[in-house]
Amino acid sequence: MSSFARMKFYCDEKRCIDCDGCSVACDEAHELPVGISRRKVILLNEGIEGKEFSTSVACMHCTDAPCEQVCPVNCFYIREDGIVLHDKNICIGCGYCLYACPFGAPQFPTDGAFGTRGVMDKCTMCAGGPEPTNSDAERKLYGQNRIAEGKVPACAAMCSTKALIVGDAQSVSKIYRERVASVGHGVQSAPYGWSKAYGK
Amino acid sequence: MQNTTQKALSTRIGRRSFLKMAAVASAFGATSAFASGNVTRAATKEEVKNPFPGSKLVKTICTSCSVGCGVIAEVQNGVWVRQEVAQDHPVSLGGHCCKGADMIDMVRSEIRNKHPMVKENGEWKRISWDSALDRISKKLEDLRKTSGPDSTMFLGSAKFNNEQAYYFRKFAAMYGTNNIDHQARI
Amino acid sequence: MANTWGYGAMTNSLNDIQNAKAIIIFGANPAVNHPVGFRHLLVAKERNNAQIIVVDPRFTRTAAHADLYAQIRPGTDIAFMYGMLNIIFKNGWENKEFINDRVYGMDDIRKEAAKWTPERVSDVTGVSTQKLIQITNAYARQTPGTLLWAMGLTQHTIGSSNTRIAPILQLALGNMGVEGGGCNILRGHDNVQGATDMCCLSHTLPGYYGLSDGSWKYFAKSWGVDYNWLKGRFKAKEWMNKKGFTLARWYAGVLAGKAGEDKIHNAGTNLKALVVLGNGITSIDQQAKVKEALDNLELIVIADPFVNEAVVLTDKKDDVFLLPAASQFETSGCVTATNRSAQWRSQVIEPLYESKTDQDLMFELAKRLGFYKEFTKGMLMKENKKSFKWPEDATDEFARIIKTIGFTGWTSKRLKNHQKNWDKFDHVSLMGYGPMKGEYYGLPWPCWTETHSGSPVLYDINRSVKEGGMGFRNRFGLMHDGVDLLAGKGSAPKDSANPDGYPEITAKNIEKVLGITLSASEKKRIGKNWKVDTSNIIAQKCMERGMAPYGNAKARANVWTFPDRIPMHREPLHSPRQDLVKEYPTYKDKPNHYRVDTRYASEQDKEDWSKKFPINLITGRLVNMNGAGVETRSSKYLAKLSPEMFCDINPGLAANHDIKNGDMMWIHSPSDTKIKVKARFTYSVAEDRVFLPMHFAGYFQGEDRSAHYPKGHKPYAVGESANTVTNYGYDIVTQLPETKGGLCRIEKA
Repeated sequence: MSSFARMKFYCDEKRCIDCDGCSVACDEAHELPVGISRRKVILLNEGIEGKEFSTSVACMHCTDAPCEQVCPVNCFYIREDGIVLHDKNICIGCGYCLYACPFGAPQFPTDGAFGTRGVMDKCTMCAGGPEPTNSDAERKLYGQNRIAEGKVPACAAMCSTKALIVGDAQSVSKIYRERVASVGHGVQSAPYGWSKAYGK
Repeated sequence: MQNTTQKALSTRIGRRSFLKMAAVASAFGATSAFASGNVTRAATKEEVKNPFPGSKLVKTICTSCSVGCGVIAEVQNGVWVRQEVAQDHPVSLGGHCCKGADMIDMVRSEIRNKHPMVKENGEWKRISWDSALDRISKKLEDLRKTSGPDSTMFLGSAKFNNEQAYYFRKFAAMYGTNNIDHQARI
Repeated sequence: MANTWGYGAMTNSLNDIQNAKAIIIFGANPAVNHPVGFRHLLVAKERNNAQIIVVDPRFTRTAAHADLYAQIRPGTDIAFMYGMLNIIFKNGWENKEFINDRVYGMDDIRKEAAKWTPERVSDVTGVSTQKLIQITNAYARQTPGTLLWAMGLTQHTIGSSNTRIAPILQLALGNMGVEGGGCNILRGHDNVQGATDMCCLSHTLPGYYGLSDGSWKYFAKSWGVDYNWLKGRFKAKEWMNKKGFTLARWYAGVLAGKAGEDKIHNAGTNLKALVVLGNGITSIDQQAKVKEALDNLELIVIADPFVNEAVVLTDKKDDVFLLPAASQFETSGCVTATNRSAQWRSQVIEPLYESKTDQDLMFELAKRLGFYKEFTKGMLMKENKKSFKWPEDATDEFARIIKTIGFTGWTSKRLKNHQKNWDKFDHVSLMGYGPMKGEYYGLPWPCWTETHSGSPVLYDINRSVKEGGMGFRNRFGLMHDGVDLLAGKGSAPKDSANPDGYPEITAKNIEKVLGITLSASEKKRIGKNWKVDTSNIIAQKCMERGMAPYGNAKARANVWTFPDRIPMHREPLHSPRQDLVKEYPTYKDKPNHYRVDTRYASEQDKEDWSKKFPINLITGRLVNMNGAGVETRSSKYLAKLSPEMFCDINPGLAANHDIKNGDMMWIHSPSDTKIKVKARFTYSVAEDRVFLPMHFAGYFQGEDRSAHYPKGHKPYAVGESANTVTNYGYDIVTQLPETKGGLCRIEKA
C-alpha cells in the first residue's frame, strides 16, 4: 500500500456525456440524503456548437488539501494513499473548507441523518471514515468503504463511457496514455502486426 | 471524541499521512469513542472484505433501456442491500447512466404501489387481491357477454420480459380480441 | 425496414459500432438515451478516427460530441437523405456491384434523387448546401459507415418512409451486411425488441406470423388448443384476421360516436374496458382525448409498480383498479437487447409488499375467465409434463414455436449459460471464447438451431450461415415486374452449397434447392415450410448446406405494396411551410386504419396552421428519465436532477414574447389544448422551435392534479405532460404518432 502513488480522479472531457451516472451511482451507493451532492456533473456552454462540454466534479483529494489547511478544528486527515478524509465527529460545520476548496466539494446538509449539526459531508473516494472499517457507524456517517473491500469507487466503476477514471496516479495516467496512443490505430481484434505478418 | 485518534497518531506518523483507522487500530492500540471507551476491535477479515457477510451476488439486467447493461445485485437474507458493478459484462463493462445506477432505489422506492386499490365514489380504497381479481374478472366477463370481446383493450409493456410479453399476447388471443398493443407503437 | 430486407431490427450491435469508420445519426440521441451504448461510438471515434455526424432538429448532447452537425427542420429527413443520394450518385460513390447483386429497384431511387439538388434540399430542410455536401463527403467516402436512428425518424406521418430511405442510403453505399456498417435502430425501453418480437401488437401473432388463418391454425396447434375453440372466443372469425386498435389511438375506440370524433370499425362496439400492464399511457399524444376516453370507460385495470398516472388524469369515480405489480428484479426471464440478443435475468428478491408478478396476474385472471388450462398448456407440451416451471418452460415454448426469426436456439438452458459466462466474450465482436467458443453473446436472432452461434450482423455474406451469415430474406416473391428478386450470382454467404440466390425453403423445394435427398422418415416429419417446421429438419439441413432457411434474395428499394412505393417527402400535417405543403402534400385520409378512420389531407388542408401556430414543437427524452417517467420520477435521486417540467427555448425567441429564463409560459396546440411550463433558456434549439421533455405527468392544462394520487404515492417530481400539446397525426402504415413534428404557439403566463 505504501508503494501506491497518490489516488486521483481524472475525467476525460472528450468522453463525458453529462449522463449523471457517476453522481447518481454515488448518491445511491452511499444512500445520501437528497440535499447532498458529493459528485456533480457540470455542463458548460449548452447548445453552442464546438463549445459545449461536461465534466464530473467531486472532491479531488488534493495534495496539500486547502480544506485541511484552513480547518479550525483539524477534522481532516490524509491517508498514505492520498485520500483526503475527515472526521464528522470533530467537524463543527463552519464552512471554511468550502471557501478554501477550488471545486465546491464540501456539502452542508440541513436535515437527515448526516446533518444533525450541519456537519460537512464530501466524497470519501469510497473509503469510509475514521470509524471501524465497514461498521454500521462508518456506513451511516460516510457511506460504503469500497476501498477496504478492494473495489473501485462507485462513480468511476459505473461511469457509462469510462470518462471518469480513478486510481493511483500512475494507473490513471497509464489508462489515459493507452487511450491517446490508440488513436487512429483501429480496433484491435488480433495482435498488432498480426495481419502484416501472417495475412488476415 | 475527546482524546482523538487523529491527535494521538499525528504525533507519531505525521499529520498528512494518516492511515485508515481500522487498518491500523490494533497496531497502535488506539481507542475510539464509538467503542464506548473499550479497546477498538480490529475488523475481521470478512468484514473488511465484505460488509454484508453471507450475501450472494445475483446477475441480472438493467430495466431501463435496450442497451442491456449488466447489473449485479448483492442480496443478504432476501434483501437487496447493494448494487454492485458488473465490470465483466461484455456490453456495458460495469457502466451505467444515472437510471441504471439507480435500479436498486427504483425497487426499494417508498412510494411503490403496495396493495391493490380501487376507486369507489372517487375515493381510493384498499382491497384484497382476491376481491380485486374477482371483481375485475366479473366485469370483464359481463362486458364480453354483452358487448363482445372487442370491447376490451389490452395494453402490454416493453418492460415485460419475453415470456410475459408472449403470454400477454396469448392472453388477448384467448380472450378473443386483437385489441392489444404496447409501447413499440410510439 | 422489414419491408426492405426481411427483418425490422437493428442489424449490427452496439459493440460492433467500434468497427465503424463513419457514423451518421438521424433523430436519435444516444448520449442521452443509450449512454452506455454511446461508449462504443466514442471508441470508434478515438481508435478509427470515425467522424460522428448528427442530423437533428436540436443540438443534443450527442451533437456536442459530433464532428459534423446539421440542424434540420423537423420531418424533412427524407429530403436530406435524397440530397445525400443525389451527391453520391452524381459522384459515383455508390457501391455498384452490391446494388446490382443485392438490391431491387435502386433505379427508381436514382430518378427521385436526381430531383433533390443540394439547393432544393437546403430550402426544404433548412440545412445549408455546404453542410449537406460536407456531410455526404464525410460519410459516403468512408466505409464501413453505420447509420443510427430512433424515434426522431419514426414518429412522423411519413415515419415508415423514413425508415425505408435510411436503409436505402446504406444499400447504395454497400454498407449492409458488414461489420461496422448496418442500420442500427436504437430501441427505447429495455425490452421493446423482445415485446415486439413476441408481438404484443394488434396486427400480428408472436414472431410476426400475421393474423391469417394459417397463422392462427399454427398457433392453435402449437398452443395445444382446438382451433375452433380459439375461433369461438372471438365475436366472429373475421375479427381474428383484422388488426386491432393500437396504443396510439385506442382512445378513439372509446370516444367514437361523439361529435367531431373519428369513426371506428370495431365489431359493432366501442371500447369499454382497458387493461394495462406496465404501460405509461401519459406518454402517448392527445392527452386531452386520452383523459376523455378514460373518463368514459366502464372499467380501468392498471397493474404497475408505481402509480400509473392514467388514474391521476381521469375523473372516473368507480371501477378504477390499481394493482401492485412486481418489477423485473422480482421475477426472472429473458430480455432482448436492441441488437436482438437475449439476456437472462435472475430473480433478485421476492416481490415486495403485496405485489404480484405479471404472469401471476395473468394466470389468476385466466383462471377466473375460464381458460387457464388452455392458456398454460403450451408449456407442458415439449416434454409432455404435468406441471410447468415459470419462466423456463415459457422460454422453451416460444423457442419451440417461433421459427420466423430463428428462436429455436434460444433455450432457457443456453441463455442461462450465457449469463453465467458473460465475462467470456470479446468486447467488439461479442464472440465467445473458452467454454463459450462458437457462440455470440446473447445468441442474437436468428439463432436457427439449438447449436447455432447466433447472428451478430444481419445479411452478412462474408461469414457462413452456421456462423451467423445470411443474405437478404426472400419474402416478397421470386419476380416482380419481370425482374428477378433473388440475389445475383456469387452473392451467397460463405460456404454456401448454392453460390447464387435461392428462394425460401419449403418441404416441396428443399431437395431441389439444397441439392439433397430426404429420407422417408424425414419426409413424413418435415413441416410445410421453414416457418412452421417444428421438426427442425429444414433448419438442420440448411445449416449443413450453409444456406439460410429464409432464402437468399435482393433487398428492395421499391415497396410496391406501400402507399409510397419509394419514400417520398411529405410535409407534416401541421407544417410551418405552407408553400411546401402544396408541393409535398400529405396522404389522402385513410379509412379504417387499425379500426379507426384517420385524417391526413383533411387535417392538413383545414387551415394554414402556421399562421396561428408559427413555432415548431419537438419532444424528446432526458437522461435521468424514461418513458412516461413515473418510475424515474419516483426515485429521489433521479427526480432531483430535473425536479420540474420545463420548455427549452432559445433566448431570442423568448425575448420576442417577453419571456425570461425561469418564467412560466403557455404552449398552445392546434387541437385547442395547452400546457403551462417553465421556460429554460438554451441555445440547443433554434429560434423557430421549442423542445419539451416527454416524461412528466400529474398536471393537466395548468391544473395540479396531485389530489388524485392515492395518499403516499405521489412521485417526487410532477408536471405537465408534453403530450397534451403534441399534434394530431399518425404514420400511414404503422400508426406511430407524429410527436416529432408539430406546431404550437407560445405566450407568457
